[in-house]
Amino acid sequence: MAGANRGMQIIMQNKIKELRIKLNITQEELADRAGVRRETIVFLEQGKYNPSLRLAHDVAKALKTTIDKLFSFED
Amino acid sequence: MTQKQYQIIRLSLVVVIAMIISQSLIYKNYLLPIAVVIVGSLLMIYVRRRVKGVLADERDYSVGGKAALLAMQIYSWLAVIAMFGAYSLEKYNPAYEAVAVTLGFSTCILMLTYSVIFRYYQRFKFSDKKLIYTVAVLILFLVMAVMTVRVFSGEDNWLCQNGQWIKHGQPDWPAPTAECK
Repeated sequence: MAGANRGMQIIMQNKIKELRIKLNITQEELADRAGVRRETIVFLEQGKYNPSLRLAHDVAKALKTTIDKLFSFED
Repeated sequence: MTQKQYQIIRLSLVVVIAMIISQSLIYKNYLLPIAVVIVGSLLMIYVRRRVKGVLADERDYSVGGKAALLAMQIYSWLAVIAMFGAYSLEKYNPAYEAVAVTLGFSTCILMLTYSVIFRYYQRFKFSDKKLIYTVAVLILFLVMAVMTVRVFSGEDNWLCQNGQWIKHGQPDWPAPTAECK
């Protein structure tokens, strides 16, 4: 599980990289499907960017999963 | 069109526009730069639409917003410090007053514009009062523009006529000590 935003009290983690590799797609392809730039996918995978609900939905859809399965929060 | 081609075209266009503007200013042609900027902007919109792929996404807009706010804060602080510096040098050269006034006004306009746009996005963009707010803002900007023109037009000034300084309007400063030729 990758990514943790330590600047906030709640730590968000995601499985974007894990699922992307499982589906055998590149960051570029995922970015195209989600309608963002590749750099944003890099930041998302590293947990350095908190996406909007819309982007979280688009990424989850591109990875054929749901938001709650893709992202998790820890206090 | 690929993103790389777009970047090259954009860079080339900026260089060309900068060259035309600098040459126009040298030859004191002030209408050409305005026309060039308008044509350049339209050309950029056209080229941007032909690009396949995403040029900017929500992260870019988020970063852009933060950068704009920081740039505005830095400019405001520097302009205010420079304004006081210019005012303190006014007794050595009256021209510094115009510099100080310009800096002060530009800072006020920048902060006011930011506040208005912030308020618009925060409260009015999705409300029924959108039209009223837009009209009120336009009136406010019109009043500000008239006031700015009044301040910078030289309405209240000392004019040099026939070797004498003649009061024009109601300048709130004494006649220049420099010789009137």
